Amino acid sequence: MTDTPAPTRSLRLGVAGPVGTGKSSLIGTVCRELSAELQIGVITNDIYTDEDARMLRAAGVLDPARIRAVETGACPHTAIRDDVTANLLAVEDLEQDFAPLDVVLVESGGDNLTATFSPALVDAQLFVLDVAGGGDVARKGGPGIARADLLIVNKTDLAPHVGVDVAQMVADATAAREGRAVLALSRTDRASVDALSDWVRAMLATHRSGTHVPQDPGPMAPHFHADEEHPDGGVLHTHGDGDAPHGHAAQDPAPSTAARG
Amino acid sequence: MDGVREDADGRAELMFALLADARLPTGGHTQSAGLEPALRAGTAAADVPRYIDARLRTVVRVEAATAVVARLAALSALTAHGAHGAHGGPVSAEKSNSAPGSCGSGAEFDFSADGSADGVADGPAGRTAEGLLVEVWAAWAARTPSAALRETAQRLGRGYLRLLRRLWADSPAVTALDAATAVVGGHPPRPVVLGATAACAGLSALQTARLVAYEDVQTVASATLKLEPLDPAVATGWVVDAQPAIDALARDVAGIRVARDLPACGAPLVEAWAQAHATRTERLFSA
Repeated sequence: MTDTPAPTRSLRLGVAGPVGTGKSSLIGTVCRELSAELQIGVITNDIYTDEDARMLRAAGVLDPARIRAVETGACPHTAIRDDVTANLLAVEDLEQDFAPLDVVLVESGGDNLTATFSPALVDAQLFVLDVAGGGDVARKGGPGIARADLLIVNKTDLAPHVGVDVAQMVADATAAREGRAVLALSRTDRASVDALSDWVRAMLATHRSGTHVPQDPGPMAPHFHADEEHPDGGVLHTHGDGDAPHGHAAQDPAPSTAARG
Repeated sequence: MDGVREDADGRAELMFALLADARLPTGGHTQSAGLEPALRAGTAAADVPRYIDARLRTVVRVEAATAVVARLAALSALTAHGAHGAHGGPVSAEKSNSAPGSCGSGAEFDFSADGSADGVADGPAGRTAEGLLVEVWAAWAARTPSAALRETAQRLGRGYLRLLRRLWADSPAVTALDAATAVVGGHPPRPVVLGATAACAGLSALQTARLVAYEDVQTVASATLKLEPLDPAVATGWVVDAQPAIDALARDVAGIRVARDLPACGAPLVEAWAQAHATRTERLFSA
């Protein structure tokens, strides 16, 4: 009964993105499509209500007991990034109570474009945008848009009504992501739903094979380290693969610790 | 020796700051220390300082005393394994107190012995550390009648234990806590885990009690900012104003050495509000 890891370790999949882009709906879709073949659990992080958890329970796509809400004290960003304790405990409880689970989906409270999951909480993450939020959002970039494992451009069926060119938005997103996966999704577009299911299956296979290494989209945009000794006055760098170790903690103001929430 | 002493003092001071910091990753941001249900039940924002004071006189007193006794139990594990210097640093001597931690104020304790020989070598009466932890855990539960408050304390305890395992993985204090958990079942509550953490971090009994009380006051004050329109400087002022009460509480309970001497002072309204909050759907804070 000690606080040891649960006997089974699921693929922990984060779903982040701004308010109203369809995160809960996407999770409902994944559950509806895959609950016959995979054992799934869901954690929601609503800011004030357990609306998302109730919506998912009411959708009847998953045993309601497998959907749990975590209160974040109005700090949705903190709960998935700086202090993941409450969510980790909820994930572990689900894994223990419903062992063996294949996938636990963790839905962030709708936040802004900068909120991404810590690799201490999830193994992979989706970032969800929608066409109704404007065709230019994908171009604006940010850690989630640029470096989440999968970027979803949701509600493509609404594109004609909001004057957005889906192909252009996907092209912008692909450019911002340097070729990482982008999926134009609509609940009414069967092929796109199948593509989402296939992506989850493929990520689970990679996770199980032990070859998947959780990537951190990171809280920081590419940034500049001032150095008067350096011929260019400093070094511009990102926190991507192959970045040499450097003394960040000592040199940079830490944006994630500057404030809560 | 002065150098060693200063080193331990400096370490304790820094560890206190670390453990009292809201950025400590233990899930503290999910908590309002009962303030959310208190406001919902009609408490006015202007009365929050009185709410803080009421908690310091009741539930927080129990929590702080529990942490003090748990720290002593964990220290006995450290000393039994000869790890005291490595993990805890020199510890201020503590004498037994004939009138410890009663719910009224005024219990006196002489702290002038600071710096004398270490007086906690084997824990009270030569008992094992896990036995002492089981005892203080049970005493805390008996003094915490609200199931919702106990559940919250245990959930928070898990968060602290997760961090404790990472920071002091091989500590005999952690081993003793695991052994106690195997006996009791479930999860140790926050004050018990915090006591063990304080032992590992080298905090004195007085610092441990202050930490529990300060943390509670700060939790209430900062949660107010999320729940009511308020200038943050006003809330911070409440914490400053609570300092004498925090310190008085800490001095009252710091001398308690055994579980049976824990104060038993509940707050029926706080407990009833906690019960109501546990099943509410529209809430910002977990508790």
